[in-house]
Order: sequence, then structure tokens, then C-alpha cells
Amino acid sequence: MMKTFFKAILNLFKKPITTQYPAEHTYIPDDYRGMIGFDENLCIWCRRCEMVCPPGAIVFSQDMEGKQTYHFSRAVCIYCGECVRACPKEGAIYQTAEPAKYALHEENINNTWNKLFDESLESRAAYSAEKKRLAAEKAAAAKKDADKK
Amino acid sequence: MGKQYEIPLGAQHVSLLEPLHFKFTTENEKIIDTTANVFYVHRGIEEACCSKFKFRQVSFVVGRVCGLCSISHSTAYSQVAEKLVKIEIPRRAKYLRMLVIELDRIHSHMLCLSHVAENAGFEALFMKTMQYREFVMEMLEAVCGNRIQYDFSIVGGVARDLKPQVSKMILERLKKFKPQLDELVDIFSNNWTLALKSKGAGAITKEDALRLDVVGPFARATGLAIDVRNETEDLLPWKEVGFEIVTKIGGDVHVRNLVRLHELYISMRIIENVIAGLPESELVTETKAFPDGEAVIRLEAPRGELFYYAKGNKTQILERLKIKAPTFSNIPAMIEAFKGNEYGSAPAIIASYDPCLSCTSR
Repeated sequence: MMKTFFKAILNLFKKPITTQYPAEHTYIPDDYRGMIGFDENLCIWCRRCEMVCPPGAIVFSQDMEGKQTYHFSRAVCIYCGECVRACPKEGAIYQTAEPAKYALHEENINNTWNKLFDESLESRAAYSAEKKRLAAEKAAAAKKDADKK
Repeated sequence: MGKQYEIPLGAQHVSLLEPLHFKFTTENEKIIDTTANVFYVHRGIEEACCSKFKFRQVSFVVGRVCGLCSISHSTAYSQVAEKLVKIEIPRRAKYLRMLVIELDRIHSHMLCLSHVAENAGFEALFMKTMQYREFVMEMLEAVCGNRIQYDFSIVGGVARDLKPQVSKMILERLKKFKPQLDELVDIFSNNWTLALKSKGAGAITKEDALRLDVVGPFARATGLAIDVRNETEDLLPWKEVGFEIVTKIGGDVHVRNLVRLHELYISMRIIENVIAGLPESELVTETKAFPDGEAVIRLEAPRGELFYYAKGNKTQILERLKIKAPTFSNIPAMIEAFKGNEYGSAPAIIASYDPCLSCTSR
């Protein structure tokens, strides 16, 4: 009984065992699975990262000149690193140890990311349709030329 | 015969962690009959795995079935997919999978023990157990890069390698954990107040356990030697790394606690052996094959036997995936074990089952 009492008194002078969060930071290892980075200069635009991404957090849009743009949603990403493993060009897409910032209510993915995702796929379909049309026109013109001769 | 009352417990309840509803028929505080209602949190994961996701992505989806045994689910799926595409994974990947499964087992068992203590009214022990558990979370973060969703097992192997400094850190922390575990074993087996709520509560006989197909620590506490690690050797070499089955006789809450605590010693031994004998090889076996045919897999998750069935049709998307979580097998025995107990000890009994309803409902 007395033992317990003394122990309880002593515990008052002990430091807390928990991490004092804002003052000291929690444990984060060097190779923590954090934010995904992208290097436009190294990318070969093979879109393999988009193909393997489980939640669909990466998408490439394409304008009519054929230039592709990389889009990434940190709210949708699960930080599994599958894109980094799939990338054939080292360093084009990489994972940092920096934890991702929290998602905000304004960034409601239904209104922002899902729309962007669909628009990107549409833009790519439009580009390939345009390309197909141009190729068909070219072929038709060539055929016409051949017929004339 | 006294008057009978029906008392509901759940699905929202202060001492119940899981979305699970029990209806007890009681007579003078004694439970004489129970009905259970599960499947409150159906998420349609099986359907999503067979329609939306490619078979390589499914190992990340099934990792989200359960927060506590994430690695067991993704490993079991990876194994079943490897059977379908007919590949053998590298030896190092097998060892690393075992390492993370055992680290996960430590943290899951510690969580269960702490909740038994809390539900039995022993808050201080709850805090103590949670405090000792924290090191495993940090180790898992160091190995996998994340505290809860490990995303470690992928089809064909594992996603990350074990760094030498991380393995050194794990061994150091395990050495520190051993006296702490001894202390916990002492408290859980000898504390008088805890014994009032745990000894003799929620007991189930060996015959009943066998009849109701109990799995996991629940079964091993009745004396049944049921453990998948003891039976299969072809996918993960458990015997090589010093696995030993823990069985105890009694079948009540007290014995279940002791089984879990003694399994932690075995887990620690396995982790030490895996790190000591980690073979050098590749991490992933690459293949371009598509899943074809049918396969089943059994794996010992912290709560018992996990069962996966998958069927492929030579396309990227699976035709069928079936997950049977260990808690699903234990539900009939859960109902049985309540009979004859005080209503007051029901929360502690539920916690000692270690139910995981989000696994069961998927």
C-alpha cells in the first residue's frame, strides 16, 4: 500500500513519456514515404506511372500540339511509391521524405481532381482523334496525287 | 426462473471499438442467450477488386481492408496472385515478409491486450501497454515508410529493402522491449484486480472450440494446436526461423491474454532470426504473365487464419476475389462463450476476442 503511494508521488516529478508535439517532432525515418516529386526535363512521357497508380492520382493531359502536362493530386495519392518503381527513367518521378500537407475542404476531389482527370483523358482522346484525322487527310491527299499521275 | 431482460450492446458503445451489435438476454445479471449482428461497414472491396483495379494494384486495395493486419492481407493477396501467374518469389522477399508480419503481430497483440485491460477497468495497464507498443510502430515506419498502411508486399516480392541501420535499430529496441514484456506478463498473470474480471470469464471448452471452428489465439487458448504457420511451409519458411506453437489450457480471458503475451516472445525470436539469417537475393520476380485459373491461400494473421480465393481469366482484371477474415470464423464461438457470464464482464470478453469487424465486412 505504502509502496504504491510513494510511487504515485514520485510519478508527479517524472517527465511525461509522450512526445511534446509542437515543441519536439515525432519520429520520421529518412526514407519515409512522403510527397511525390516530378522532373519535367527528365520525363520521357511514357505514362507508365499513370498506368500503375492504384488510386489514379497521376494523370497526363495533352494539348493539340501534342505537349503533355503532368497532374498530381496529393489528396488522392496513397504514397505507395509504385510510380517510382515503374518509372523507366531514374529521377523523373521520385519520392521525398517530406510528409504531404493535409487536404483542405475546398479541394473537394469531386469538383477538382475528378473533373481534371476526366478532362485530361478527353484532351488526350481529342488529340489522338485529331492526329488520326490529319493522317487520314494526308493519306487521302497522297492517294489523290497518285491517282492524278 | 427470474425475469428476463434484453440488453443491447453496440453498434455505438463507449467500450466497444468495433461496429458490432450484441443483444444479450439476461437473467439476474447473468447472460443466458446472445445474438450477434455484424456487417455494419460493408465497403464493397471485393467487387472493387474485380472491376476497377488491375491485379497488380489489388495488393494495395486489400491492404486497406484492415488497419491492424494490413500486411497479412496484402501478403495473402500477393501469394494468391503469384500462384495465378505461376512465379516463385525470391528468398529475401519471403524473409522480409515474415519480418513485417511478425512486427505487425506484436503491435496487434499489444493493442488487443491494452483494450482488454481498459475494458476490464484497468486504465493504468492500458496506458502502460500502449506505451510499450509505440516502439513497434516506429520500427514499422522505419521498415515500410509508414505507420499503418505498409504497402510492403507487392505481386512478385516486396517493395522495399531492409537497411542495415534499420535492422540494427530493431535488434536494439527488441532488447529493450524484452524486460518490458516480462513486466507485462507478470502484471497480466498475477494482478489480483485484473484476475477478478479475467479468470473464468468468457470460457469456452476445447470440444466447443473444435465444433465451432475457432481460429487464432482464441483457439490456442483452449488447447487446440491451430496455427497456419505450423501447417504450411511452402510459401513462407516459418520453421526455419524458429516458429513454435503456443497453446494453453483454460479458454478464458486470462488464458487468451497469456497466449498473446507468449506469442510475442515467439515473434521476437522470429524477428531476431530473420535479421540474423537474411539471405542475399533480388527483391522482386518480374513477370508479364496474366492471372489464369484458381488458387486459394491460407495465412496466419494476428487474429487467426486468413483465407484468400482468387480466379483469373487471362486479363488484367480478376474475375473473382474472396476474402475470409479470421473474425468471421470466430463469430459462432463468440456467441457461445458469453453464456453463463456476468453482464458486467461482457466488454472485457468482447475485447479479448480481438474482433476485427472491418475485416469481416470488407
